[in-house]
This record gives sequence, structure tokens and C-alpha cells, in this order.
Amino acid sequence: MDMQRLETARLFHRFGYGPKPGEFRSALNQGLAATRQNVLTTDTQTRAAPELTDLGPRPAPNSPDIVEYSRVLRYQNQLLLMWWLDQMVTSVNPLNEKMTWFWHGHWATSVGKVNYALPMYNQNVTLRKFALGNFTDFAQAMFFDSALQVWLDGGENTVKAPNENLSREMMELFTLGVNRYTEKDVKELARAFTGYRVTRTSGVISTAARRRDNGSVTVLGKSAVMSPEQVIAHLVSQESCQRFIPERIWYRFISSTNPLPENHPTISAFASRDIKNLVTSLINDRALSDPDNSVVKSPVEWFVGVSRALNLTPSQLPSFTKLYSYLEKLSQLPFQPPNVGGWPTDQAWLSSASAQFRLAFATWLASLANLSELAAVAPNNRVEYLLDWLGIVEWSARTESALRAVRDNPQRLLTLAICSPEYVVSA
Amino acid sequence: MIEKPVFSREQLGMSVFTRRQFLKFSGVAATSAAILSVDDVAHAATTRPLPLGTPILVVLSLYGGNDGLNTVIPFKDSIYYASRPGITYKPETLLPISDDLALNPSMSGIKSLWDTQKVAIVRGVGYPKPDRSHFSSMAIWQSGSSQSSRDTGWLGRWLDTQPLDPMSAISLGSVLPPMLVGKKQSGSALPLGGLNVPSGVIGAACARLSVPSPTDNPLMAAAATSMRNLFSVSSSVTPILAKPAPVAQDLPTAAGGNAGGDTNLAQQLNVVAKLIAAGAPTKVWSVSLGGFDTHANEANAQSLLLGAVSTSVTTFLSQLKASGRAKDVTVLIYSEFGRRVKANGSEGTDHGTAGPVFLVGDRVQGGFYGDQPSLTQLVDGDLAVTTDFRDIYATILEKVLMTPAEKVLGVWKGRTNAIKS
Repeated sequence: MDMQRLETARLFHRFGYGPKPGEFRSALNQGLAATRQNVLTTDTQTRAAPELTDLGPRPAPNSPDIVEYSRVLRYQNQLLLMWWLDQMVTSVNPLNEKMTWFWHGHWATSVGKVNYALPMYNQNVTLRKFALGNFTDFAQAMFFDSALQVWLDGGENTVKAPNENLSREMMELFTLGVNRYTEKDVKELARAFTGYRVTRTSGVISTAARRRDNGSVTVLGKSAVMSPEQVIAHLVSQESCQRFIPERIWYRFISSTNPLPENHPTISAFASRDIKNLVTSLINDRALSDPDNSVVKSPVEWFVGVSRALNLTPSQLPSFTKLYSYLEKLSQLPFQPPNVGGWPTDQAWLSSASAQFRLAFATWLASLANLSELAAVAPNNRVEYLLDWLGIVEWSARTESALRAVRDNPQRLLTLAICSPEYVVSA
Repeated sequence: MIEKPVFSREQLGMSVFTRRQFLKFSGVAATSAAILSVDDVAHAATTRPLPLGTPILVVLSLYGGNDGLNTVIPFKDSIYYASRPGITYKPETLLPISDDLALNPSMSGIKSLWDTQKVAIVRGVGYPKPDRSHFSSMAIWQSGSSQSSRDTGWLGRWLDTQPLDPMSAISLGSVLPPMLVGKKQSGSALPLGGLNVPSGVIGAACARLSVPSPTDNPLMAAAATSMRNLFSVSSSVTPILAKPAPVAQDLPTAAGGNAGGDTNLAQQLNVVAKLIAAGAPTKVWSVSLGGFDTHANEANAQSLLLGAVSTSVTTFLSQLKASGRAKDVTVLIYSEFGRRVKANGSEGTDHGTAGPVFLVGDRVQGGFYGDQPSLTQLVDGDLAVTTDFRDIYATILEKVLMTPAEKVLGVWKGRTNAIKS
């Protein structure tokens, strides 16, 4: 296997969303060091914000206003989804964008419970702001994220009736990892989190002094009256946090089956809780050249990668319903993680049913693309041409012969290429 | 990992907590599971039918947490009425099955089976330290272990004791429930309507593209296999199922959410009935119904769902009579938890603990099992568990699946002797 191709392909597909036409060949020419540097040169520009408004209180179930209200609500959620997908596809230096996606799966919050697009958008803004920032600041900001508060019942956590939902996940899933705290810590942390109320539609969080537990709490050995910011800083300062975040990033970017090695360099790189430091260390790590560390592209990653390669813009596709339905059938819609643990990985995306849906999706996308560039290549060279175009390490003899059989028809050729094991899996 | 459900009362087109979401979370989504087509099963039924008289288990999972107190109703207890104003039933509409218990008014089919001694109702079923998360609790029930992290299902471990055969256990729907995941082999998924196999030029190219390659890494090999399995559908089979299963009416929408869950129960059971009648070599079938997470406006929604359960199970058993296999079939009906005794502020109930389990069929010794949980002696405001669900599993393993319970559950003493020997 050509190691430069392997590492370059991984840099493109894992730390970005796959190459746009020409990018992969140009990266190979520049060499690995320059490519790493390019990946780390991030672009935090975003497209114009979607026009979302506070919809205000929901009309009564049978009132005449409910129909229009529901229509606008659905429309805003659609705008939001298209805004993000466009953002992923058009991003020039997509590391920040890819990290935003990673953090969405980390602080996994679903509009299925939050309902409103505005707080989901606000959360996305926070995720991208801190995507490569300081994790202490990030975790503190996330506590005051209204979508997360609604999602994990923060508003129901009061001095009289503590609700442990947010405090448990803050430790288990967001900062420390399972079993790196006690049940007592969960209860105590919940007390430190009391005293906030959320207005769902606007995403405004207000303090509610009477709901606040003003007593001293004992969390992970520290006893004090602590604000949410203080207690979160205490959580993030734990050694287990220094290991946990590198573990999660490793799990999604490198391998869900091979565990993060003990004393891996990313752990010390995260000593200051600087996420960019951690990611930089990972990008330079030899794990990137270990052929063992393959990952399956999730449906959204696959779709965005294909759109980038084919110059398709999600919001410009002829049917939103069709796009939504394909992503839904493939079980992955941005803003709708299945639960607070985020999406599954690897084999979960490889059922026969998803193979069928992926093929149908690919057929549709290929039919919409302008393939004149591919058509201009001599049929005999097309299969090889696709390697660099799509950023693939190498074709197996199996795939090469399957593709050669359809090389005369560019649309068919491309459809099959993006459904090949070599494209579906980041080698 | 404690998993949190995705559910809401105000969905507006977003999906509610359903079986599908549970399965999506579980990540076992047909990883190693074969996807079968109806033709595959029909083919197996004709070439190697299950011997008549072989016991068959049909597991019906009710996703969302069925409110047991409004299923088997303590209709003479004043606390029942006082605890949940607005979601109780008028005594005269109920279907009494004992001096103090009655079935939900919608369950007339189950009531008539009860009258012929074909229904066992196990009361107060749960497990120690109840977990009120849909995900964790369903994982506990499906794994048959109080550690929800166990990565095999109870029927998957039963499959591990059986000869390798993708037909041994089949789940209706496109994704495999964790219950059927074993170490050596897993059950198969049978999507209703089946998969569309690509045909023509693109089909031939896909077939070539999915051939195993020596250079594939394990995930690429899995990707190739998933595509190849699309083609492993036998094509020339006696059309046992020539007529498509009649499409029953969709369940009505209730409480702002789609109360029917993923797929229609009547339709699932219709396919199962036909395949059992045809002699499918399958000892375990899994079907499901979602929508039981009735946090709001419960009475109507739950009644519709229980009515669907009652009618489709009754129809299913009577369909089987003609085949001579009705006496072989036992239906197990359960949900991940019951609901709170007290109603919440929105004419619904929140997640609770113990609930009733139903066993239905000719081999069932009809009657009550387990004690009815008291409405006065609550544990944290919830019904006390009087029977561990593994007692029921142990009996099913021994009396229906003819397998030592220990092989699946480890040492487990309790039994619910509701199956005739």
C-alpha cells in the first residue's frame, strides 16, 4: 500500500469531508508535511445564518393558529438542516467544520425533544466556536446552552426536586467517562446545577433563585458552594478528563475498535485542555499510517463527501423531501442523534438495508451531477482517474474489474465507485 | 452507558420514541445479522419444514413502557381511581377477569382467550433496582441480565446453543433487536416488503463489486458482504406468499405522535402466521409495537394500542388453527417497564417499574401468576416488583425452547410455571 496515499486520504476523509475535485492530487504533489499543515489551517467562516425566529408560545392543539405555527416550525428546522449541510459541503478548510460535527455527536442533542430550530442553531454556533478551543470554556458554555438544558431536563432540576439527568451525563458522557465518579457525585453535582429555567422557543436561560440549592456540595473530593462554572472547571481539571476527551476523539477519528494506547501523546497534548493541541498531536501521530485503523464513513460523512466531489450543494438539490428521506433511511440526520450517546460507528452502518438505500441515494446524486469532466477522460483511464478525484488509496482488483465493466457510462461508473467498499470505508 | 430516550409530546413531524430509535441506538443494527427475504424463509419451509409439534415462541415487544395498571386494572381499588383522575375507565366498560381485576375495555379478544384458559397473566413483573430509562430498561429485558451493558440478548444466547441456522430466530422489520444477538450466531431480520435487489446492468455491476477481495480490511469486507447479501435471495420458490399480506389500517394517530410505532403489528403477525403455517424452520419469532410512551392524553392512545395487540394476537392464533400448529405456539407479551401509579399533569403517566406480562397459547396454563403489586405499599412512588422477568424466561427456555435455562441465564432459581409440560 502507498503510505503517502493512505495518510493523505485519511487526512482528507477524517479530518475533513473528503477532497473537492483536484485537491487530492495537489496534496500528493505537495507532500504530507504540507498537507498536514493545510489541514490545520482552519477556516471558521460560516455561511449567512439561517433566518430563524422565536416562534413564541405554541397555540392550543385545536386552534386555527396551530397549522401555520407547525408549518413555520417545520420550515425553520428544514432551513437549519440545509444550512449546516451546505456549510459542511462548501467549507474550504473543513477541520473546524468536522470538529463541529464531532462535538455534535459528543454533546448529542436532538431537535426531536428540543423541537425548535433557534436553540439548536445557537448550540451549533457554540459547538463551532469552541470546536478547536479550550475545553474548560467549552464545557462551561455548554452548561448554559438552552438546547442541552431542555434535552437533559435541566429546567426540572430544582432544590426541591433534583433531576440528575444533566449531571450524570455531564460526567459520564461529556467530561469524565463512565464509572469515573460515584453515584454520590451525580447527586451532588445535580445540586450545583439547580436554579435555571429555559424558555424553549427562544433558547433564553434565566436564573430562578428560589429553585437554586445554595448549599455546599461535595463533588469528586472537593467540598464548597460552587457555581456551575466552578464545578465544571473542577470536573474538567480531573485527570480522567484529560484521558477521556482524547479517547473520544480517537474513537471517532482513528478507530472504534483499537483503544487509545496508554500514555498516548494526545493525552499530554491535552494537558492545557486545548483541543487544537490535541488534534494537532493526533494529526501528526503514527496511528494515521497504521493500516489497522480503518473506519466506516457515517451516512452524513458519505453524503457530504460525495457532494463535495460532485460539486453539489445540498440546498440546491431538486427535492428536500428526497434528501431527507435518504438520510433518514440511512439512520443519520444532523440535529437528530438517536440519543445522548450520539451515533453508532462502523459496522452499524453496514447492513444490507443500508447498502440498498446507499445505492439508490448514489444513483440519484450521480444523476444530478455534471460529469462532463469524467466524460472527457478516455474510457480506459476513467477508473484510475476516479482514485484521485474521490481521494481513494487504491482499488482492489475486484472493484477495478467491476468498475471497468461500466466505464463507458460515466454516471453508472460514478454511482458504483461511491458505493464501493473502498469509498464507503476510510481505509 | 446510560442512554436517554428521544421522545416528546410535541413532535410536529419529528419521530417519537419508537422501536426504531431504540434499535438505532443499540448499534447492533444487523451488524452480523443476515437480512432474509420472505422467499428465503418460504424456501426453507418447503425444503426442511419444522416438524409438527415443535414448540414455537413468538415474542411481542411493546416499546415505550406499557401502563400495566390500565392494562390489568384493579377496578375495585379506590386508590386506583384517586391516583389518576382523567385516565381511569368506568367500571362498567371493563372486562372483569377476577373479583378485583379487569382487562382494558379494548382487550375483548384476549378476554375470550382468557375465558378458555389460554392466557397466563404474570403480575408485578420487573427486576431489582428498576431503571426508568427506556434504553437501559429495554436493554435489561432484552439481554436478560440486570447489567444493561451485556452485549448479547437472551434469545441470542439461546441461539448459541443451537446448530448454526439463520432461520432459527427471525425478527420482523429491517433491524435486528438486541434480544436476538448471540456470540456465535444472531437471529435474522425479515423486512416487511423485503429488499429491492438491484437488477439489470447496475445489478450485475453491484454483484461484481461485492465479491470478497483478499485485500479488503475487515470493514471493507463487511461493506462488501452487506451488498452481497442483497443478492442472496433465492429466486425460484414456491409462492407460498403469493398474495401480499393484507395491509391492515394504520393505527390512528393519538396524542400528537404516531402511536403505531414503526410497523403494523397485524401485518407482522400475518406474515409470521403464513410462514409458520408453511412450516418455516423457525422456533423464535420477534414482532413489536411502539407508541406506549404515554406521557400525555394516555387513555385513548393506550386503548387503541392494546386493542391492536388484542385483536392481532387473537387473529394470529385463529389463523394458525387450520395449519395444525396453533397448539405449538406460545406468545410472550412484555414491555420495558410499567408506569407511575399517579398521573402527571397532562393526563398521562411517567416512567414507572413493574408491569404485567402475558403468555398466550394452547400450551399455556391459564390464570394469574405472581402477586398483584399493592397500591398502598409503593417503592419510591412506584409499584413493587413481585416477579423477576427471568423467572418467566427460565420457564420459556425449559418448557418451550427445551433448553436448560442455565445455559442462557446462568444459575437462576425462579420459575413461572405457566406452561404445560
